[in-house]
Amino acid sequence: MDPLVLAGLSFPVLMVLIFLRVPIGLSMLVVGLFGSWQVYGSVAPLLNQLKNLAYSQFSTHSLSIVPLFLLMGQFATLGGMSKALFKAAEALLGHYRGGVGMAAIGACAGFGSICGSSLATAATMGQVALPELRRAGYSGALSTGLLAAGGTLGILIPPSIVLVIYAILAEQNIAKLFAAAFVPGLLAAGGYMGVIALYVRLVPGSANQVPALPWRERGAALANVWPVLLIFVVVIGGIYSGIFTPTEGAAVGAVATGAMAWRRGGLTRAGLGAAFEATASATGMVFMIVLGAAAYNSFLALSQMPQELAGWVGRQGFGPYTVLWAILLFYLVFGCVMDSLSMILLTIPIFFPMVSGLDFGLGPEEMAIWFGVLVLIVVEVGLITPPVGMNLFVIQSMTPEISIRQSYLGVLPFVASDLLRVVLLVAVPGITLFVLRL
Amino acid sequence: MSHIVYSTSRAMAWLGACVLVFLAVLSVVSIGGRALSGLGLGPVPGDFELVEAGTALAVFCFLPWAHLRRSHAAVDMLWQAYPASLKRVLAVMADALMLLVWMLLVWRMALATLDYRANAEVSFILQMPVWWGYAASMVPAALGCVAYAWRLLETLDLVQAPDEIRTEAMVH
Repeated sequence: MDPLVLAGLSFPVLMVLIFLRVPIGLSMLVVGLFGSWQVYGSVAPLLNQLKNLAYSQFSTHSLSIVPLFLLMGQFATLGGMSKALFKAAEALLGHYRGGVGMAAIGACAGFGSICGSSLATAATMGQVALPELRRAGYSGALSTGLLAAGGTLGILIPPSIVLVIYAILAEQNIAKLFAAAFVPGLLAAGGYMGVIALYVRLVPGSANQVPALPWRERGAALANVWPVLLIFVVVIGGIYSGIFTPTEGAAVGAVATGAMAWRRGGLTRAGLGAAFEATASATGMVFMIVLGAAAYNSFLALSQMPQELAGWVGRQGFGPYTVLWAILLFYLVFGCVMDSLSMILLTIPIFFPMVSGLDFGLGPEEMAIWFGVLVLIVVEVGLITPPVGMNLFVIQSMTPEISIRQSYLGVLPFVASDLLRVVLLVAVPGITLFVLRL
Repeated sequence: MSHIVYSTSRAMAWLGACVLVFLAVLSVVSIGGRALSGLGLGPVPGDFELVEAGTALAVFCFLPWAHLRRSHAAVDMLWQAYPASLKRVLAVMADALMLLVWMLLVWRMALATLDYRANAEVSFILQMPVWWGYAASMVPAALGCVAYAWRLLETLDLVQAPDEIRTEAMVH
């Protein structure tokens, strides 16, 4: 069979397997191996490729950053900083209308600055903030919606595992991507706070206020979170200034958060065991997808499909923004059912060459970074869009009394603010890129 | 038996995490050495190679645990709508596929280990034989076959997961 036809057929087959609940990584692995076998026409080259496939993927130096960041996030959870962050944000914002909710967002942003995973951020902050929100009279819909949205700040604010994977696939500088993602991440936090402020005014009875604290107590609460700030500055600053490589930065972060957890008495036998097992589960999940994507993408590369498709799109004379919006829309739609890493690993090898050939009036590196940040945002929207929003499930599993329907409704305003932000960042690339132009 | 499979997989997950902690500390020591190179210190030689081999070992240690705990990303959007018999067939099919693919990979990796041993290829800085890294990862990879087979038996209702794992699964 013609390799291009084979590649074209492989995608629906892959989708069928995935919807039959075959794990995504395994589906890509099986379809990729079968496809390569067909393109090679014999089994010998495939068997040869299989000798190194797993080991060479798992020992890729740039990927070693992923388990280290995951371990860092687990240590950050054990360090109990989530509570301190929430208290600090509440001391500053709690007395405004919707203030406790804004404080939860602020705390998520703080936690996201030392954690590169959305689910870990949603789970950690949910445990701390959900009871406080309920006590402050926040409705079920608003509390679950805002915490699910706040969880995405774990990935939107660097360090970010999705950006690491994008950087590897698109062969871009991780440090520059982290720097570029920072301002859009803050915009996300600001947008979510704006949604809360609007929501509590428009929907009466959805939240109460808490009394303001004296300035001395506000100062004391803020002073408690200095370790988070210090770790963020050292890790991200060190990576960005080139004092150490991104992988070394993740190592520094893991050691620093580990030390913090130890100082604060979080490294009990049970706590450490849970952290190790959670790191193992999350790392295993990521690398299974990485392995499957490696097999599938090497099949696609063999079939020449990505280059052909990029060439075809170029010849059609579509405007660059038409193509860009089509891609972003694709991510939004698929994000409703698929997880962010699988989508990125599956599609960047196809979409990146396509976008690279288009003229947005930016240099190649600026374009790649801008596109990476946009993709990061749209795939993260997938974590909070019904029906399969992982963050929603994480938060909802903590509060069985709130129905998933309420959570779906509660998160919609936050999805709207995400979409608004995407439009803004597409229209003004400078918001993402100005940090790099300084 | 179930208890042995689970505790071995758990022990491997812990071992992998300990390897990660070691790599993190190693990198920090290396950065420190590089920063103090004026005092005659330097980075840990070959830290790059150790991180690569160590990460591979850790990932192979993690995979069986991730599979037993059903952590792999899957789309279950339509799952509830499938009839029970189809669910059962699909679950068995997915677990059997995982076991088959993994056995294929382990078989090929074992051959690669022997190849590298025969051609005595070494790493660039430490001159560490490449087959060491493969051989170390072979241990958890081969044990992984047992975990994957066990999970298939569980899905076929031939064996049961240990009590504490099942009660946790019910809570979630």
